[in-house]
Amino acid sequence: MNSGRCAACKYLRRRCPRDCIFSPYFPPTNPHRFSCVHRIFGASNVGKMLQQLPVELRGEAAETLYYEAQCRMENPVYGCVGIITQLHQQINEAERELARAQAQIAFHRHASNAHRPLPQQDQLEVEPSAPEAVTDSSWLDQNEFDVSALMSPLDPAWFL
Amino acid sequence: MVGATPCASCKLLRRRCAKDCIFAPYFPPDDPHKFAIVHKIFGASNVSKMLQEIPVQQRGDAVSSLVFEANARSRDPVYGCVGAISYLQNQVSQLQMQLAVAQAEILCFQMQQQQQQQQQDHHHQQPNNIPITTQQMMNQDEKSLLLSTSNFDYNLLQQQYLNFSSTTSNNIVMQDPPKRESLWT
Repeated sequence: MNSGRCAACKYLRRRCPRDCIFSPYFPPTNPHRFSCVHRIFGASNVGKMLQQLPVELRGEAAETLYYEAQCRMENPVYGCVGIITQLHQQINEAERELARAQAQIAFHRHASNAHRPLPQQDQLEVEPSAPEAVTDSSWLDQNEFDVSALMSPLDPAWFL
Repeated sequence: MVGATPCASCKLLRRRCAKDCIFAPYFPPDDPHKFAIVHKIFGASNVSKMLQEIPVQQRGDAVSSLVFEANARSRDPVYGCVGAISYLQNQVSQLQMQLAVAQAEILCFQMQQQQQQQQQDHHHQQPNNIPITTQQMMNQDEKSLLLSTSNFDYNLLQQQYLNFSSTTSNNIVMQDPPKRESLWT
């Protein structure tokens, strides 16, 4: 069944069985996909990981493994963790800017209220409150991933 | 290394721990789980090759990130680290949206102030005023219309924001990570 081999079996130079664990997720049209994943995780580990999952989730797993492998090849020191760290920085920066903007809004509202006559009791309107900042990333700490330890002692030039 | 304790890797792999063992500095014998999880996900051979390709001073960081990724993959076999990336990207998008809304509101206040200032200036002007053009009158009316809505329409602005393509501002990853189900929430 040489002509019908998946990318994995082609790469590994073996026969591609009918129930090959790799073939649905590593088509022969994209050899780079498997070579990437194999280089970082190893074919045996990938096969085991896929086998341990229900069939309907294997596609997603293969995609994320490929994504992680690509990240690791692009950035051999930090891989995906580099992206996570950068996202944390973006979140911190956005929160700071949002706090600044909200302070400015509060200032403007106060200033404009100071110029208006005081409303009657029955004319008071409830102003729409600004959406609260949604920044609960505490789950990362709850899951015992010491991202802060990864961040603090490292050189600022994290990304190659 | 006669008499010395083998590192966690060599203990697990049941081999002699050489003096220049590439794993020894990063996988001490008192933390066997660290190497076990990395070996389970990446394989000792792959980890060894990766470390060899990295300068010595960066290997510690590389091991830390490998351990992090291995733990993430162990806890979430489908999405691994990518689940975290999706979650954080979503947070970034939400914050950027909130920021855009807040900045638009600030702009409205500033325009309102400008209008008030113009009205005050107009009040104090000399009798022979320069006649304003029709276009200026129309602009004035548009501004008044905008500013007359005392309730700031966050919903409308959010919808408009969402209609924009959001790919440009989040181009810190090579491609969009695969969408995840909610094992991380």
